[in-house]
Amino acid sequence: MAKKSTPPQTERTYERFPLARRIEHLTMLLSFTTLGLTGLIQKFATSTTSQFLVGLLGGIESVRSIHHFAAIVLIIGTMYHLVVFGYQAYVLRIRLSMLPGFQDAKDALQALLYNIGFAKSRPQMGRFTFEEKAEYWAFVWGTIVMAVTGFLMWNPITSAKILPGEFIPAAKAAHGGEAVLAVLAIILWHMYGVHIKFFNKAMWTGKLTEQEMLHEHPLELADIKAGIADRRPDEATIRKRQKIYFPIASILTLGMLAGIYGFINTEETSLTTIPPLAEQQVEVFVPQTATPRPTSTPTAEPTIAPTVADTPSAATTPDAATAVVSWDGSVGPLFQQKCAACHGASGGLNLAAYTDAMKGGASGVVFTAGDSAGSLMIIKFESGKHPYAVLTTEELDQIKSWLDAGALEK
Amino acid sequence: MRRLKIAQALPLLAGIVLVALAIAGSRSQTVRAAPHINQVAAPNSQQVDNSVCLACHSRPDFNLTMANGEDLSLTINPDKFSQSVHGENEIACTSCHTDFTGFPHPELKAASPREIATTYYTTCQQCHAEQYDKALDSVHQRALAGGQTNAAVCTDCHDPHEQTRITNKDTGEVLVTAKLHIPQTCAQCHSGIYDTYKYSVHGAALTEEGNLDVPTCIDCHGVHNIQDPTTAQFRNETPQLCAKCHANGTLMRAYGLSTNILNTYVADFHGTTVTLFEKNSPDQPTNKPVCTDCHGIHDISKVDNLQTGIALKQNLLIKCQRCHPDATANFPDAWMSHYVASPDNFPLVYYVNLFYKFFIPAVLGGMAVFVVTDFVRRWIERRKGATH
Repeated sequence: MAKKSTPPQTERTYERFPLARRIEHLTMLLSFTTLGLTGLIQKFATSTTSQFLVGLLGGIESVRSIHHFAAIVLIIGTMYHLVVFGYQAYVLRIRLSMLPGFQDAKDALQALLYNIGFAKSRPQMGRFTFEEKAEYWAFVWGTIVMAVTGFLMWNPITSAKILPGEFIPAAKAAHGGEAVLAVLAIILWHMYGVHIKFFNKAMWTGKLTEQEMLHEHPLELADIKAGIADRRPDEATIRKRQKIYFPIASILTLGMLAGIYGFINTEETSLTTIPPLAEQQVEVFVPQTATPRPTSTPTAEPTIAPTVADTPSAATTPDAATAVVSWDGSVGPLFQQKCAACHGASGGLNLAAYTDAMKGGASGVVFTAGDSAGSLMIIKFESGKHPYAVLTTEELDQIKSWLDAGALEK
Repeated sequence: MRRLKIAQALPLLAGIVLVALAIAGSRSQTVRAAPHINQVAAPNSQQVDNSVCLACHSRPDFNLTMANGEDLSLTINPDKFSQSVHGENEIACTSCHTDFTGFPHPELKAASPREIATTYYTTCQQCHAEQYDKALDSVHQRALAGGQTNAAVCTDCHDPHEQTRITNKDTGEVLVTAKLHIPQTCAQCHSGIYDTYKYSVHGAALTEEGNLDVPTCIDCHGVHNIQDPTTAQFRNETPQLCAKCHANGTLMRAYGLSTNILNTYVADFHGTTVTLFEKNSPDQPTNKPVCTDCHGIHDISKVDNLQTGIALKQNLLIKCQRCHPDATANFPDAWMSHYVASPDNFPLVYYVNLFYKFFIPAVLGGMAVFVVTDFVRRWIERRKGATH
């Protein structure tokens, strides 16, 4: 007779997820994680952690490419899911056990009440618990929001041809908000539900033990035991339905693939803009004068400085005539100031004192009293022979007047 | 549940920590140090009195025709020199003209006035080492080294015989007169740009109103160590450059301008990209626009200017189309024009943000209530040894 004993260690197992489902899950896991990571570091781009990760992934353009690639993987995964769903619903006519119902709300309430001590037992649930359905439908909602807003951001120019431009930043806001929600929900809900509460390996092994089935999906287990779980229709019926479904599915698949192609290729300049423009090229070196610092342009004739003395007008001449033209009164200080640095005590012509000056230098007497035109100094200056023409025309005129007046000392 | 262990909560904790880290604050901006002028008269025991030099060199129109046919002006205006900062400090001619201590002067080897300028400027480092060293790292110096003899050297901007004091001796601040004169100094060689600048919102304020809040050339390009503004690095740093003034509340308040321009730009797709380029790969070019791509560079106008102002959609669209030729009338609204979304500006964005502001905590809060109560209940059951 049956005694109270633990079941044998070789427990019966039940297939929960066939290999294709597990691969599908892995694909979603990888693409979702990639999208979450590469997306959040763009949303929070100013944080140093994000910047470090962006650098690690090869820069922002590379991060965007990875994000776009993962998005396409996720969308293709979703399309595959839809096609498979169609097959199961139409060809195999399985129970639509993932559809949410009123019972799920009751289960959730009962679970919560049980947790806080107001219900006697946990709810008994079927193939998909309310936790699993919540996550599944949240994923469906999230995928729709992300795909639509993602399209708007990926193809802003096309979108703005139909929609107001404001939809683009709104799409970005929704995309970012939904991303934060999705990632946090996965971390909280999924992590707790299948890793912490009970380490559920069904997505990897594909199986649950009888004990686990009893804990997690007692109603499904009961159905299996009672023989009223989904049963495969007979082969003839399947083949008949396949003949209808496959063509429809093929057309749908092609349509969806065309949609993806459009998603990627609708526009170019939102991703790769045209290169910088010629209008920004400015002439940098446009000097105001021939050389950076203004210099007088060379002329054939020596230019005359525009001073008062340039025009020996009636206004200046009387002054000059009436002034005492003597060494001490006028030319002596001039020679001292302008010439003595060279023509001083260092030898040769010495213009520091009247007597020395009148003696002349190595070339002989330079000042001839009463004859400015015959004075060597004036001849040299007027013919440009003095190596450094340090005297102005006015000063030279002053010296000439002094010579013509007799080259007096006082 | 026998499988329930604290260690299994680690992935959850790790996830939360990661998200918290990602939201952590951004880097603060660096503050530019005030320029420092260090001036020490060059010691020269055998200085010749300046009056000796001026005896000849004060003569007006004292020119020397050089080998290339150009005249070299040898005239020093004694009045201007005495008013110059060098004159005020009684710097001897021979401090710079070190080999001109006697007469006749040494033979002139240079063939042109320019050749003299491009060899003589090295003498400035005797007293102005800091500025000289910075100038060595400038675009001008690189152009000069590359054979472009028109490139500016010290004396092209600062006539050593007439340059008056530029900065306040005590505070080091640039004097009003000096600041007003800056664009004209640069215009000696860059007159094309100056002619554009003086009609810009900044240039007109400076040249017509004497407004000193606006940037002159050196506020953007720097002084002495002026860098090539056509590099990717300069471009990537442009937002930070403009933000130096435009994110400054006290400065902008006087003109009723928003200080949100940088954060709204960085929050946008373009600005995010440029910011990441600036941080991660500053010398890599990006095709995303910086401030100057929409607002202009030397021709920046007021945004409400009827012809060029980009607050007007049709003007902004022209800017959009420079990179996105297919853009149409609605497209400019995809850029929020530096607005922070509010019920008045970009309400859709505002309400989407508002929705998630409540939706995220509501969903997660609901989940958390269940998760926490479930966790606690199972923990209690485990302690009681219950299996179900």
